[in-house]
Amino acid sequence: MTQLDERTATVPFAVTDPWWIDRERYYDRTFFELERDRLWNSVWQMACRLEEIPAVGDYVEYTICDQSVLVVRTGPEQIKGYYNACRHRATQLALGCGSFRGGQIVCPFHGWRWNIDGSPSFIYGAEGFAAAAVAERELHLVECRVDTWGGCVFVNFDRDARPLREALEPMPSLLDPLGVDRMRVYWWKAVRLKANWKMAQEAFLEGWHVMQTHPQLTLGRPADYRADSLEYHSYAHGNSGYWTKPGGRPVWDADREVESIIESSRLLYEGLDAMTLARDMHVIESLRTRPYEKGVFGAQLVQAIFEYAAGAGIPLPMPEDPAALVRWGGVFYLFPNFFILPQYGNALVYRSRPDGDDPEACYFELWSVTIPPASEPEVKPEFGGVYRPDDTSAWPQIPLQDFSNIERQQRGLHSHGFRRLRLAQDYEGGISNMHQELDRYLSR
Amino acid sequence: MSRVRVEPLGAEIELQPGETLADAAWRLGYEWPTTCWGQADCMLCRVEVIARPELVEPADDEERRAIAHNLPRAERRRAVRLACQLLVTGDGVVVRKEGVRPPSPR
Repeated sequence: MTQLDERTATVPFAVTDPWWIDRERYYDRTFFELERDRLWNSVWQMACRLEEIPAVGDYVEYTICDQSVLVVRTGPEQIKGYYNACRHRATQLALGCGSFRGGQIVCPFHGWRWNIDGSPSFIYGAEGFAAAAVAERELHLVECRVDTWGGCVFVNFDRDARPLREALEPMPSLLDPLGVDRMRVYWWKAVRLKANWKMAQEAFLEGWHVMQTHPQLTLGRPADYRADSLEYHSYAHGNSGYWTKPGGRPVWDADREVESIIESSRLLYEGLDAMTLARDMHVIESLRTRPYEKGVFGAQLVQAIFEYAAGAGIPLPMPEDPAALVRWGGVFYLFPNFFILPQYGNALVYRSRPDGDDPEACYFELWSVTIPPASEPEVKPEFGGVYRPDDTSAWPQIPLQDFSNIERQQRGLHSHGFRRLRLAQDYEGGISNMHQELDRYLSR
Repeated sequence: MSRVRVEPLGAEIELQPGETLADAAWRLGYEWPTTCWGQADCMLCRVEVIARPELVEPADDEERRAIAHNLPRAERRRAVRLACQLLVTGDGVVVRKEGVRPPSPR
């Protein structure tokens, strides 16, 4: 844990002891507005997936708090971000997603328009303006910073921000060997939660809640599930990650190793439909037919996954350092609001954002992504919709269990019997690390 | 690829699969009248289908609504379609459209 920064003490409800978090940080309006002005206006944030804008002219509108930007593919290898406001009288130029046809961005109000490179191409009624007001250099669309990593487009409204790669490290170094940039959307859904955006994501910044929140994952033996079975790592710039400790799976019955692993995989597959998918289930179940050798089943499983991928034409990369595979099943958090949970050739991805102007509402998205066979044509991902957190037809068991706690936490914050959150030094350092980085932004 | 002839210019325009007539024209550098650029709104790109109408895909709800609401009654003929929505299923469709200009030499 890093030394607390003295400058951050000026932030309201600042973190002054890393293991205590004031409850106001999750609902106070002044704090929320400070986040809007100082965090979201100067941090790299995931705006869309590259596969959403495959063709030149394709765009996605990205919104955060009161800002809207258009992320546009302006060339086969070029993407730009434009603030979404007509240079005339502020009309938002496009909404949602789509394609700027004929390479033209057209204002629906008076028909002013731009080439997709941001240069003005037609200014209707220009003769009615003072010449200086419609000078060409005055009318370019205003750009924000854009960069890409891991199959995603990131934007930043701060011209002076550190480069994306620097902000994300060491996550790219940890995740690139697992092929996250080759993954494409299998499903994508969102939930509106009555909770602060941080409260929602903090449910995924530690894994020791599994014992009580997801008892099924302990295979009926929650009492044997050890809180210290995972190792947690906090990094610079608010990033963090955690994964299984070597030998940290005490739940699995050594005598029934094969059946335990198959059962655990099935629970993940059926309870999430992410990380472990049907094709992986097929591979894992086929291992029953192989001669069992105590202690090497894990290695056999990894080998079988790679053999299957090779046979199916799935470009699952073999990491140069096979130790990277320990990160399968881990959770990787990219400050401020983005998560990647890789497993085999798949991953579960989360993004949490404030929902409009309410500090106690967030818009939380989940993507199940997977490396498709190389022969499969590229298609735009389809958004599966926004669902209530208790919609049993939309959400598998595991997210339902997580969502139910998040809204109860947010309500609990207001209790006369509660003042601040207490964090476990050994298990919840990622939450503290995130809040400390947040304070660095808020004190700038 | 499906070919559409545009009269009176006499231009033959090749449409890629799933591409509308206006998108193909814009891609190839033709000037094709519009102010909304593909939003089924301004009606300026509209054409009259004058041959092989059976190879033209029927108008969808959005286009039919636009034709019903944004065009004067006298112009709402069956053969009138929006080039920015017009998809064809084969070669040989001919449309009439004034004001189309060929790509200017660069």
